[in-house]
Amino acid sequence: MQWRRAHRYRDEVATRARQQAAVADLGQRALAGLPLDDLIDEAVACVAGELGTDYASVLELTRDRRGLLIRAGHGLPPGVIGGVLAVRADELPGYALESDGPLVVDDFAEETRFGPSPVQRDLQIVSAMAAPIGTPGRRFGVLGASSRRAHKFSPDDALFLQAIANVVGAAAERARTDELVRDSEARFRELADTTPALMWMTDAEGSVTYVNKGWLRFTGRTLQEELGATWAVGAHPDDLHELLSRWREATARREEFRVEYRLVRADGSERWVLAEGLPRYDAGEFVGYVGTATDIHDRRLIEDALRESEATFRDLADSAPVMIWTTDERGLVTFVNAGWLDYTGTTLEEELGPSWSLGVHPEDAPAVISSWNEKLAERKPWELEYRLRGKDGNYRWIVDRGVPRYEGGRFVGYVGTAIDIHERKTMEARLREVYEREHTIAETLQRSLLPERLPRIEGLEIAARYLPAGHGNAVGGDWYDALERADGRVALVVGDVVGHGLRAAAIMGQLRNAFRAYGLAEISPAEVMARVNRLIISGEENAMATVLYLVLDRETGDVTFASAGHPPPLVLSSDGTEFLEGGRAVPVGAAEPGIFREATATLPPGATLLLYTDGLVERRDASLEQRLGELAEVARDADGGVEGLCDSVLMRVVGERRPDDDVALLAVRPRPVSTGSMKLALPAEPESLSVLRRRLGRFLHAVQASEEAAYEVTLTVCEAAGNAIEHAYGPVDATFDVEVSFENGTLLAVVRDRGSWRERRGTHRGRGLKIIEGLMDDVQVTTEADGTVIRMRRRLAA
Amino acid sequence: MTSAEVAIERRGGTVVAHLSGEVDMTNAARVREELLVSVPNDALALVVDLDGCRYLDSAAIEVLFDLARRLGRRRQELRLVLAQSSPLLRVLTLTDVQSVAGMHETLDSALAQ
Repeated sequence: MQWRRAHRYRDEVATRARQQAAVADLGQRALAGLPLDDLIDEAVACVAGELGTDYASVLELTRDRRGLLIRAGHGLPPGVIGGVLAVRADELPGYALESDGPLVVDDFAEETRFGPSPVQRDLQIVSAMAAPIGTPGRRFGVLGASSRRAHKFSPDDALFLQAIANVVGAAAERARTDELVRDSEARFRELADTTPALMWMTDAEGSVTYVNKGWLRFTGRTLQEELGATWAVGAHPDDLHELLSRWREATARREEFRVEYRLVRADGSERWVLAEGLPRYDAGEFVGYVGTATDIHDRRLIEDALRESEATFRDLADSAPVMIWTTDERGLVTFVNAGWLDYTGTTLEEELGPSWSLGVHPEDAPAVISSWNEKLAERKPWELEYRLRGKDGNYRWIVDRGVPRYEGGRFVGYVGTAIDIHERKTMEARLREVYEREHTIAETLQRSLLPERLPRIEGLEIAARYLPAGHGNAVGGDWYDALERADGRVALVVGDVVGHGLRAAAIMGQLRNAFRAYGLAEISPAEVMARVNRLIISGEENAMATVLYLVLDRETGDVTFASAGHPPPLVLSSDGTEFLEGGRAVPVGAAEPGIFREATATLPPGATLLLYTDGLVERRDASLEQRLGELAEVARDADGGVEGLCDSVLMRVVGERRPDDDVALLAVRPRPVSTGSMKLALPAEPESLSVLRRRLGRFLHAVQASEEAAYEVTLTVCEAAGNAIEHAYGPVDATFDVEVSFENGTLLAVVRDRGSWRERRGTHRGRGLKIIEGLMDDVQVTTEADGTVIRMRRRLAA
Repeated sequence: MTSAEVAIERRGGTVVAHLSGEVDMTNAARVREELLVSVPNDALALVVDLDGCRYLDSAAIEVLFDLARRLGRRRQELRLVLAQSSPLLRVLTLTDVQSVAGMHETLDSALAQ
């Protein structure tokens, strides 16, 4: 009979990769629009499963921020979920709300900062972790894991818990935003339908998707008749040509536009209207225009009439529903109509003369006065939107427009009309607010997903910058990352998710995690790309990204890289600059199966590598070649190391204005072990041995030791270090020193501790010494005043 | 962090333990426990396959000696599998592990005995 049983130790790398895959998976599901409740259920199951704890739960801060609702839990006894805990800073959940990262409790009995929550106390929890969900100003709640038995959590476990909390936080924020946007959309429609103005919306192609009741009343058509048509339907044939050419011009550039034309009213009459439109964005994508049409017929007639006769003008003016005024040639008011007086609540006498600007909002007054004086001096038409005080004391937005009047060729002053546009302005402001809010959330999300600071990687100078797109452009999904692999090489990645806004930022977070997990697995760049590609294609999101993934050997300067539709990295050295071409393929997410290639190159000694996203080099007014040339030139002139390089590139390639697209930059410069020696001090504890092994591995790789020699040297130095660790006593923070040098084919290793050498007890320790003596050519142990020194020498094969 | 993995399978009367990763003083005791509990009383021998092992220090070698001693009391045999080309071979020879455990180049040869 065969049976099989596997005992598994937690392998650091495998565990980390699996945890990151779990985070990526949960993120994918969040993006696929899994309802928040289901996502939270999955999050707690995932936490308990991956960490092997008895319980996991999500606590949600109540609206009054004084309670924590136990929203979901894994393993909890019946009746606990749905309960509310008081927020108390002296208990773990309340404490976690105020902290900016994950908290780890090995044993509550020894924890001094806070105690367990009442639920944890009832369950007799010994070990626990908790991570805040949501950004500090907008906490959603706390994610926790706890265990009845003592459980040792690693730093990776804590990071994993925080990463899951971040996914839940992003999903909760997204759910909240969706609600807000839906809410403001509904409010917008309600407002639009009750406003007397004529309003319309189009899709990106210009077809009408919405007109308000005011528009329907005006044209006498039904909503069904209007929808889908171009909104130029109903325009007077003589105006159609200009109307359409203005419209095309504006939409091509996605600019605001305005045009005056005649619209046929329900009763068949033609009315002059002023149509104005603003481009609309949803999640950063252009989705069409929103606009208004204002009846300016009376104003047009009045302006026309004025040319005919002053008397007809005054008659007309006073019966017109708009506000009308005239001035003399010095700009002093000579007349305002009943409509104006009705609006301001003033008398004609008060308005005449130089006093008309008194009712202007103080914030707008300087612009009103200076623009008016400027136009008056040049006798040119004047037009401005500003706030004017009404008779109830409240300011309302008006658009005021004046044209010069001539009598027999002589300039005699201005005639002006003003229209109340307060509703339109308010609506514009609200729309802007909605888009602004989305922009801010996406930017926050993006920042929370980027590494706050890059990991410190020994033997590598590293600097990175992230510059969000300028105002009015939604943030993109750019990212950068750097990680040290266990084989002594470093993986670097820079990528750009196609698209903008919340969705792109969230996808970026998932891709970054995927590259981390696969990057640690020590597979080739082309294979990493292929795996990420499969991951994207199998997901429900139609995501696509350009990525550059590169593996660098710090000692030799050898790089292997794959580019998925990404601009080439730049190498800077004393030889000049060079772009690393080759290894090119389509963006990830574009095709399955994706065929990815990789290329290799060797960096000259002292070279710096610059990775970037296309926001840096892509600009509408210059070709890519031109921009790459500029980049190379700026990089060549930069000084101040990798930090200085990033600063110069941003300052001189991007310049003062914020870019149209996001820019991510990553500059690295390998510092090889060139001196032929290494020196380090480590805490005298067993955990230092694996650190020492990695450092020795890198050094021995650098001096080209054979695999066998590398193992034997590592083993002997670690045996000597193990001795130092066993003999360490006294202060808890005891350390030992290791110095290794390589000269003329001979390696010298010195291990120095602060204890005294003792013949090890038992055969086991005797074996340690036997190993040291057997594998080294020469070993000397000396006892000095403050400790023991072991000197070991070995000749390495050429 | 030092990490190792032990995968156990039973081949007839023999228990095979595939030991991979790194073993040093931080995890040697755990590895020993894993190996010990994997051998039931009725097994004839324990074969420890070291092919996936990247690092063994003196504490790990002590585990092998201890294992051989305990198994010996139960009249069970310890055999090790290690390729001739493995960098670990010299250390095992140096510490005389072959005096307590049979060394084999392949798993098949360890099982054939």
